[in-house]
Amino acid sequence: MRPELPTRRDEAWRWADLRHAEAFLETPAPANDALPETDHLWLDLAGPRQLFVAGQPVGAAAQAPTPDRTLPRHPLADLAAARATAGATLEIPAGADAGLVQLLHVGRGGAAHGITRVILGAGARLTLVESFADEGQDHWLNHRLDAELGPGAELVRVSRTLSGHGLVSDRAAVRMREASRFVHLTLGLGAASLRAEVEVLLEGAGAHAEVDGILLADGAAVLDALTRLDHRVPDTSSRQRWRLVAGGTAQASIAGGVAVARHAQKTDAEQSLKALLLRRTAAVNLKPELEIFADDVACAHGCTVGELDRAALFYLGTRGVPPAEAEALLTLAFVADALAGLPEGALQDALDAEARAWLARHAGGRA
Amino acid sequence: MMLEIRNLHASVDGREILKGLDLSVRAGEVHAIMGPNGAGKSTLAYVLAGREGYEVTAGSVTFDGTDLLSMAPHERAAAGLFLGHQYPVEIPGVSNLLFLRTAINAQRKERGEPEISGADFMKRVRTEAAALGLDMEMLKRGVNVGFSGGEKKRNEAFQLAMLEPRLAILDESDSGLDIDALKVVAGGINRFMGPERAVLLITHYQRLLDHVRPTHVHVLMDGRIVESGGPELALRLESEGYERHAA
Repeated sequence: MRPELPTRRDEAWRWADLRHAEAFLETPAPANDALPETDHLWLDLAGPRQLFVAGQPVGAAAQAPTPDRTLPRHPLADLAAARATAGATLEIPAGADAGLVQLLHVGRGGAAHGITRVILGAGARLTLVESFADEGQDHWLNHRLDAELGPGAELVRVSRTLSGHGLVSDRAAVRMREASRFVHLTLGLGAASLRAEVEVLLEGAGAHAEVDGILLADGAAVLDALTRLDHRVPDTSSRQRWRLVAGGTAQASIAGGVAVARHAQKTDAEQSLKALLLRRTAAVNLKPELEIFADDVACAHGCTVGELDRAALFYLGTRGVPPAEAEALLTLAFVADALAGLPEGALQDALDAEARAWLARHAGGRA
Repeated sequence: MMLEIRNLHASVDGREILKGLDLSVRAGEVHAIMGPNGAGKSTLAYVLAGREGYEVTAGSVTFDGTDLLSMAPHERAAAGLFLGHQYPVEIPGVSNLLFLRTAINAQRKERGEPEISGADFMKRVRTEAAALGLDMEMLKRGVNVGFSGGEKKRNEAFQLAMLEPRLAILDESDSGLDIDALKVVAGGINRFMGPERAVLLITHYQRLLDHVRPTHVHVLMDGRIVESGGPELALRLESEGYERHAA
């Protein structure tokens, strides 16, 4: 039976572009042994790497991880669990530091589903960069990440979409035990469609989540993100910083959700959603969604949409900086604070450089 | 002639502000343009720097013989023109150092010169910052972010020193400064001046001219230069005001 996909009539999907999911729902990516050129798609950072082409691992045996069935139901994530035939399981024992792992998912001419399962023991640490790209054809990559963080564990995950065609849908769902720490960055650079979701269940006192995102939309891209930070117990905290930039006729959207359960007192949840329109033909949507049922909480949120400061552009011009470079510099300054949640060092620098390069190509009247 | 302005007419929002302004500046000269509020002093500065919304309706401006008005603001900067802003802009997220290095290299690129090396850049930053009493921690912060009015003007003087233009147009560089800061900024202007360079000081008050001695003083009223003279003119304006020109 053909599964039902969400439609724009569903509030949570009103800004999503699922045309390629509809088109490829029953069309798996064609089998093909040819390997794509991927050198330029990895971040130049040390650590283990695994490539998946159309959902299949390259140079490793295919084995689908067992999804976490206790996570909230979700139409696309459920579909990934039902249809994925391969994926990655990263189980890090208590106290171990697994360093940085990169997974690269390349889509190819049809639908491919994938699962990444992360289980961190008490005090374990992992940095996971998952990148999504394509071979220049329309496709649908549908991915889910299921993560459990033991007490005091720390997971940093970057979901990086470079895709220029088709649709990437990526949903991260994370359970956090006491004093664990989760940092998530969604980096959407594609000129295609992206649906990025992050749902965090803060289930242990002292758990802290930083869920940040940078969506750089150009051409006719439709980049759409949705988060839900679910504070289920007292004394947890979260911070969300999203920076959206849209040029061309692109659309970038974020629905930033915070839920605080009735007994989850002393929750500290902060949210900042900001968007910059490079062209009047582009569109951005910002929607903070707060559901707060406890009374002793701090939930700060802010939302702004703006354009580049013309006085600042002139100031840069009088110092000799050409308009395109000035626009890129100001736009980079605008997005940079969404990178602040990442630990300082090589990963942050690499992503900063990537955002900078994208802006140099796309900002400044070239959109 | 370094700067030649002939019969310059300019409008803002359809209202004529400059009404036939003539001015000639040679290398080695310091010209002070004085005048009451609303005379068109800042409009002149913005027209020379190329700000959008400041429309030239007649006249010509040449800089080293080249038509200045046909150039974009960044091209004017690369050609050697510097505007010291009356209200320097704050740019959060772009450090003063990144901003300056970007500016220097953009100008060098425009002129077909190689980029400045990191070591040379930092060496010059340390020297010039020390001379203007700006500490390095401030320079690592966002451009003008959290700076007092005086610190912003010192930062303009710092940029002037670092960018080494040939013509500096300084718009109310003395406004908002206490006497100590005024001396520091004046010191920066005096260090900048030389036989190959020129300064156009736009000021409401005479007090900056106690520290930066002009070679020429002009009175700007209602969009035109109505009187020109030497330093003594500034002193007379200080005691008499602009009333005698107001008719």
